[in-house]
Amino acid sequence: MLSRAARPALRAATSTRPAQNAATFATLREIEDRLKSIRNIEKITKTMKIVASTKLTRAQRAMTNSRQYGQTSNEVFEQAETKPIESDDKKVLIVVASSDKGLCGGIHSGLSKKVRRMLVEKPNADIVVLGEKCKAQLSRSSGRNIVLSFAGVGKDVPTFADAQAIADQIVLLQTDYSDVQIVYNKFVNAQSYEATQIEAFSEEAIANSPNFSAFEIDDEVLGNMREYALANSLFWALAEGHACEQSARRNAMDNASKNAGDMINKYQILFNRTRQAVITGELVEIITGAAASEE
Amino acid sequence: MAFAWKASGLTYNKYLSVAARVVRRSLKDDKRLAAERRGEMELRFAKWNGGKQGENKSLAEANAASMAEAGSHSSS
Repeated sequence: MLSRAARPALRAATSTRPAQNAATFATLREIEDRLKSIRNIEKITKTMKIVASTKLTRAQRAMTNSRQYGQTSNEVFEQAETKPIESDDKKVLIVVASSDKGLCGGIHSGLSKKVRRMLVEKPNADIVVLGEKCKAQLSRSSGRNIVLSFAGVGKDVPTFADAQAIADQIVLLQTDYSDVQIVYNKFVNAQSYEATQIEAFSEEAIANSPNFSAFEIDDEVLGNMREYALANSLFWALAEGHACEQSARRNAMDNASKNAGDMINKYQILFNRTRQAVITGELVEIITGAAASEE
Repeated sequence: MAFAWKASGLTYNKYLSVAARVVRRSLKDDKRLAAERRGEMELRFAKWNGGKQGENKSLAEANAASMAEAGSHSSS
């Protein structure tokens, strides 16, 4: 009888508490909600990590293949000792190989920073952007330099058909570029990557290289070789960038899951402590109330 | 021009991709399915002018169109 009488007052007391102590003390319900949402986020990041890990193995295989491919293609230019032409009147084209998807740490902004550094040296260079993420970043800082942008990159492991279609569109550009530089993320190991560039030379640069006569290439097919080499380099850059992105996403999601786990622990302890405090408070109030009404 | 495909406006890369498609299609069924996935391309692209993005277009169609145009120029 007594306890029932005491309860409504108690309930009123607990319900007024959050208003008083909102800054220092969250209510049980609030903590519970927070805990629930963190658990859900942890579930999501864990799943994304698993997806990224499975994609990573495929991407890495594609990367090692394409790297071999690109290096073999560049071997010609190394043997011929091809060098980019140093001239001020011709423009340089920068191709940025990023992708459409985010949630993978700083790999896109790393590329953008690299491109911005290159733009300081060559302010009138043109940019071709592959992927939405770098497009958004670069269009803010240097939108005037962008001539082409491609979307739909990085949904899956990049194919050679992708690289060829992009190379075609670059070749069809009106401006005559002295040098094409492809900026991509170089895969160092599972933890680290580095924004690097590969050169794709113009016909003139290839024809002027010192050891070029050793290959006995007709002038007529020179253009074809240049287009093909561009597609090769693009393919290499896309595949390696894709592998980097997957590994970066895996790491990012791993860290996110870890942080979520830490937060869950912290909130669980806070939740238990608050619950105990509430129970103790209730008991104290009931006992004091009972003691007071007995006298 | 020495090459028929060049005279009809194709680039070397386009020529290669057509040749590759033909090879893929003439494979046996089980191998063909795996190979054809390597030939897929669903990119979209946009031309930029003075810091503004242009219209988003399908890359495959645009490439085909520009090559048809180049072909009609060189043959006429």
